[in-house]
Amino acid sequence: MKRDKQLPLTETVYYILLALLEPAHGYLILQKVEELSGGQVRMAAGTLYGAIENLLKLKFIQPVPSDDSRRKVYLITDRGKEILHLDLERMKHMIQITEKTFIT
Amino acid sequence: MRRFKHFLDFEKEANWLKQMAANGYELTGKSWGYRFMKTKPENVNIKIDYRTFKKQADFVDYCTLFEDCGWKHIAGTKNSGAQYFKKIREYASEDIFSDVDSKAGRYKRLSNMYISIAMCYLPIFAALIMTNAIDAGALLNPKELYFTPGLWEKAGFEFWQAFLFETPFALIRGATWAALPIMIILFLTFGRRAEQQYKKLIR
Repeated sequence: MKRDKQLPLTETVYYILLALLEPAHGYLILQKVEELSGGQVRMAAGTLYGAIENLLKLKFIQPVPSDDSRRKVYLITDRGKEILHLDLERMKHMIQITEKTFIT
Repeated sequence: MRRFKHFLDFEKEANWLKQMAANGYELTGKSWGYRFMKTKPENVNIKIDYRTFKKQADFVDYCTLFEDCGWKHIAGTKNSGAQYFKKIREYASEDIFSDVDSKAGRYKRLSNMYISIAMCYLPIFAALIMTNAIDAGALLNPKELYFTPGLWEKAGFEFWQAFLFETPFALIRGATWAALPIMIILFLTFGRRAEQQYKKLIR
């Protein structure tokens, strides 16, 4: 099977997609990513803005209407969910194979 | 107060602005040079991003995100490219970038901007040469900038009188014609230098 070109996702992209299973604006994404990663991934504003722009281009996320006129709100797309799922499967396999061969 | 300076290195630029702030000059804007306001000397953290925006709403969203993160937007507009931020909250991170790729990415955008301006000027320059609005030969041979008939055959006082009389006009002519090619070369050089900064960072 041919692997999706976008795989593997980077750690930050993975957590952003995971955070956007529910609608969120930029700063909320940062907070969620930090929380989801157990404080491991702390993104700065400029880096997050670039990442959002890139994910929009890839159509992994989309802007959704909101009441906040100053902050754009985003949500994961079906394509985004698909890639998230594929990456999960990829990591599952890595964990399985590692546990089988490395940890005895 | 207004200061004119040109940077191709965002770190050097930010350090200079920090130094200005430490001397009591706070950056209030950048259009035709840096504009400063005299205030009390302050130790600030200033960082620079490089971005242009299609819509005003995109620009507002961008500034709001930085402000939410504890970085106040102090200079730059929707189309200016360079965006200046000052750290205003204790909780804010020390930098506006948390990985090397995004830190380098701004040099790529800066480089693309310089190259695309140069590329816009190129066909204009070519068109002006083709229509003889710019005499390309005169740029290589300054003698052709002088239009007085038989000037170079004259001698003595007669020559100097005619020569000195026309020199200001020749200089203006030469400067006007040379401006476009000089700008093209300058912008291509800046674009190339910014690209090198980009490559240096991502390596």
